[in-house]
Amino acid sequence: MSFHLQLVARPFPFINCAVTPTAALTCHYHRRRPTCFHTKKLCSAAAISFPFRLASTATKLSSSSSSSSFRCFSALSPELKSSLDKVVSSSKVILFMKGTKDFPQCGFSNTVVQILKSLNVPFETINILENEFLRQGLKEYSSWPTFPQLYIDGEFFGGCDIALEAYKSGELQEALEKAMCS
Amino acid sequence: MAVSKEQVESTLKSKLNPYHLDVTDTSGGCGASYSIEVVSEQFEGKRLLERHRLVNAALVEEMKHIHALSITKALTPDQWKEQEAKTTKEAA
Repeated sequence: MSFHLQLVARPFPFINCAVTPTAALTCHYHRRRPTCFHTKKLCSAAAISFPFRLASTATKLSSSSSSSSFRCFSALSPELKSSLDKVVSSSKVILFMKGTKDFPQCGFSNTVVQILKSLNVPFETINILENEFLRQGLKEYSSWPTFPQLYIDGEFFGGCDIALEAYKSGELQEALEKAMCS
Repeated sequence: MAVSKEQVESTLKSKLNPYHLDVTDTSGGCGASYSIEVVSEQFEGKRLLERHRLVNAALVEEMKHIHALSITKALTPDQWKEQEAKTTKEAA
């Protein structure tokens, strides 16, 4: 347990700083004053689902007020978007996958893990099965309907088919080399 | 709710006007998993990622019921002809 939780937990403390003043305005965070007290424990899943629980409450709260907070209904809330902006660039190579590096729970995810392992590049994985909000939000964030999703240098590189194709053609190695040198 | 192979084919045909299309049901009968080979002029000048995005966009409705979609080939007609020529040469 400790191993993959560590991997997952690392990028997510960003969530706490995702409650920007702008977000607070959009979603009426100020009505829920004790925002930060809820997230004392750094459990990744709790941390990432936290803005959503808040968002939905905030939406309810603000439904009678004049300002609109329609963005809260989307799977990709502004908070998740800004957190993901940070997460995808927190490491050169990030793989959002089903399962973990050492225990992939899907053949497609496994393929990409094996490719990356064979290329000997350091990479982080995030298990999207642990968090439904993250899973749905990421589909919108990457405009990609399935997992795995590979990010290189903060940019969406592709899913399994693309990673495999690019691996065969050498493009993946090129992209990774470029990322490692940058 | 499953999506039939015919449905996937007809959607792709109408949206991508493919030069060649091969849809294989890889689900073992439940219709939730497909493998696709598609050759279309619309891929001209586009990177693989953009080509896959086109296919994903075309199948956005179907994707709600498809669990896994594998795009094994997304080529332009020229690339396709080139590949065909190569394989026939090798076979000969």
